[in-house]
Amino acid sequence: MAVSQPDIDRLIDAYLSVSTYNFKDYSIKSFMRRIEKLMMDNKLDVEGLINKITTDAIFVEQSVKDITVNTTELFRDPKIWHAIRYRILEKLKDQRRINIWHAGSSTGQEVYSMMILLNEMGLLDKTNIFASDINTDVIDTAKKGEYIYRFNLDYLDNFNQVVRQNPYNFDEFKEVPYSKYFEIDKAKDIIKLNSFLRKKPVYFKHDLVNDGNIFNTKFDLILCRNVLIYFNYELQNNVFDLFHESLFRKGTLVLGVHESILGTKALKFNKKGLYYTKK
Amino acid sequence: MNYKYIIIGGSAGSFQAVTSILASLPKNFKIPIFLCLHRLKHVRSGFVEALSIKSKLPIVEPIDKEHIRQGVVYLAPANYHMYFELGNYISLSTEEPVNHSRPSIDLSFVSAAYTFKDKLIGVVLSGANKDGAKGLKALKSANGLAIVQDPAECQVKTMTTAAIDETPVDHIFTTKEIIDFILNLEQ
Repeated sequence: MAVSQPDIDRLIDAYLSVSTYNFKDYSIKSFMRRIEKLMMDNKLDVEGLINKITTDAIFVEQSVKDITVNTTELFRDPKIWHAIRYRILEKLKDQRRINIWHAGSSTGQEVYSMMILLNEMGLLDKTNIFASDINTDVIDTAKKGEYIYRFNLDYLDNFNQVVRQNPYNFDEFKEVPYSKYFEIDKAKDIIKLNSFLRKKPVYFKHDLVNDGNIFNTKFDLILCRNVLIYFNYELQNNVFDLFHESLFRKGTLVLGVHESILGTKALKFNKKGLYYTKK
Repeated sequence: MNYKYIIIGGSAGSFQAVTSILASLPKNFKIPIFLCLHRLKHVRSGFVEALSIKSKLPIVEPIDKEHIRQGVVYLAPANYHMYFELGNYISLSTEEPVNHSRPSIDLSFVSAAYTFKDKLIGVVLSGANKDGAKGLKALKSANGLAIVQDPAECQVKTMTTAAIDETPVDHIFTTKEIIDFILNLEQ
């Protein structure tokens, strides 16, 4: 089911006519792909989809949740977590308070990864953790902190690399038991994060396209990984402005490992290997 | 015909064909090449290095919104889908694997076909699943040129036979013939 550019424009207009959801500056290819999937899953053609958007408010909410991508893992890309642990948090550890924002936190695995590291470093209690997503369903999943076990064996592998091993000294191995942070129930096929972690973060519904800094604070560290790839260059730049003004001086921004600040906004940040700091 | 882009998809058994193709291209080869290759989950790093050993062209894993340059080989990063946007740049996505594959050859080929149309050559190499068949079909419908590695030569034939079943391809070539064909494009 191929969708044409004019179809895409009409669909974007349909969403704008009934909601604040604005996909105008989304990355075209993945948006097209998500729309095609939405049409297939709901057995609708373009006309049917437009009709449903403009007449069914519940479908609008549900379909926006389906369009936005929510894949994530515990400690996705271990090497960035090494940088967070040994470079970024190391510099923040003597502060009285640490403020962290996970922008586009999806189902929460990244938030839990961060809290596990903070706890290992003894910093969890003095850290404020804010997490936000456009999709309230994934926020509910994040709060529940329960994930399928079978398809996520990588979680354990990543945990070993980030928490138990020391990338700078492979002889060192810390016996951190999984049960310190989560329970594995193979019969029920779930991994469930422990309650002291589940209770900690504050979650917000937040749309990076429309909303500014709604948190009444600035941040030492903002993580926004594999979110901006769904936005075009112009919209990415708007979000980089938002992050810039939401960071404390010298605050740190972590993007996905294949994301980068392109163009003039790069002048407002220093690139330090895998992450950026505010100038 | 004036082809401006080449996209190559491969899975199990394709590493040798890919390295032979890359090794045979001269330093001044201009047409950008996109590689969409399945890799083992645990082989996330070191793949660029392995492919680079014999290649005279730079091989890069693109970052999102990276502009496409001549003379560069782009390798779809592990755990991302790779798309091609109007305006001559690459975008990435982490949406769910398709046919258990991320990168998905089908998604990359469909996207390339949509954007590059008759300026595109698509090559499907050895592999163990059917990823690539739908993509090559889309490429052919968009007037691109469809090439499939001769299944007789493939270590694993599933992917190439699926592509041939799905689409009236333009050429069924051995690795050597693929190389000769690509080298002749430049002249």
